[in-house]
Amino acid sequence: MNAPTGLDFAAIPERIQAEVQRAIQRSIKGVEYFSSSGPTLGSTPKDVLHSRGTMNLYHYRPMSDEIYRVPVLIVMATTNRGYILDLVPGQSFIEFLLRRGYDVYMLDWSAPRPEEKSLRMEDYVLDFIPDCVRRVQADSGEQDVSVVGYCFGGVLSLLYGSIFPDGPMKNLICFTTPIDFREMKLFSNFSDRRYFDVDRLVDSVGNVPPEMILSSFEMLRPASRTVSQIQLWENIWNDEFVKSYRMFDRWATDTLPLAGEYFRDITKDLMWDNKLFNDTMSVGGRAAKLENIKVPILHAVAEHDHIVPYDAAKHLIAKIGSADKEEVMLKGGHVSLVAGANATKRLWPKLDSWLGTRST
Amino acid sequence: MTDKITDPVALWQKMVGEMEKGFNSFATKAMETPEFSQAMNRAGGAAAGAQKQFGDLMEKYLLSMNLPSREQMTGIAERLQSIEGQLGEIRSMLSQMSASGGSPIDAAPRPPRTKRPPSEGGGPK
Repeated sequence: MNAPTGLDFAAIPERIQAEVQRAIQRSIKGVEYFSSSGPTLGSTPKDVLHSRGTMNLYHYRPMSDEIYRVPVLIVMATTNRGYILDLVPGQSFIEFLLRRGYDVYMLDWSAPRPEEKSLRMEDYVLDFIPDCVRRVQADSGEQDVSVVGYCFGGVLSLLYGSIFPDGPMKNLICFTTPIDFREMKLFSNFSDRRYFDVDRLVDSVGNVPPEMILSSFEMLRPASRTVSQIQLWENIWNDEFVKSYRMFDRWATDTLPLAGEYFRDITKDLMWDNKLFNDTMSVGGRAAKLENIKVPILHAVAEHDHIVPYDAAKHLIAKIGSADKEEVMLKGGHVSLVAGANATKRLWPKLDSWLGTRST
Repeated sequence: MTDKITDPVALWQKMVGEMEKGFNSFATKAMETPEFSQAMNRAGGAAAGAQKQFGDLMEKYLLSMNLPSREQMTGIAERLQSIEGQLGEIRSMLSQMSASGGSPIDAAPRPPRTKRPPSEGGGPK
């Protein structure tokens, strides 16, 4: 080491050689990147149990010799595709659950069609989810069903659970689920009722286009997309990095449109009036108070969640009426909490230990 | 090997990371202001209005060309959706019938629902 300058001159040739090799690898892998299609996502074997417009109900084929009595229904967020929970073998939450002995169903969403612009919150909460729960009961032969909701899928699950407190939901697990929408500061400002004319927007476009949803997500961290592309170029020689980048990038940009009336309901009831937090929420004329939920509940939140900040999610457990309730905060962001290499070590084992004892 | 303090690549990566954080933080502060909301929604509203006017114009054009209107196409789509729904129901019924009747279609045996959590002695199998 050269003390006055802090430089290790002996190591410089080695470093230059490594960088030259990486530069060559970048050129080769860069060509490969643009000529290949990336990993296949969502490939865990499944059957489509039911499909109706925007709603799809999947049943994943069991992967263990015996399974828990209570089936699990995952309710996906309406803005994104469910394959984030089924990326590739070894990084699939679904596969993890199947190998741990759960019987797994998923309520996933397709893009709502133009004629589905009239779908409202009540269609999701009073029709789609109950319909899927009934089909899970019929298919599994069990009366009890555990429900897992991710992000806004968690909000829909909470509304369902608060309107149908007498079952058949046996356990509820929410991932990064907001209830205090004032605390989603940027979304709240984007939809400021003084300036945002939701009626005009919905009346004009019908379903809210996915580009608009994607833009609003990307505006939360406007520099991150550019930086992630710089990082991709720097690491393009690294196959594992590129695979992971492609999986998450494809999912993040595969945003779904939202049914117009549903978007109007979300904006007015949740973003403007914060009704879920204020205990004034109703869906289709039926009161939806969180205190009505009495089943065991686990709420997993992420320490660095920029989409659902902790302040927007932290009151959930306090407002739930259950005696058996737990919040767990784990390292990670909104997506890395549930998917990717870190989720396999953090959230998934926690969920397994919590849900396993409540699934018999 | 060079350490992180003297490694120009590591320094570059650190600088990019810091720039990202700084820009995101700056932009977030700007976007939290009512002025930003007003400007953004004014631009968005104008775009939505233009889109509606364009849509109306297109509908008149299609009518003059004796082409089906959007409403008619939507009607056909709704009927198709209804047919799809009914096909799904029929498929589901057939699956259930074959399962109960022992037919091989979709009737793969399911594992027993007897699993116990490891804490109760139900270790991995």
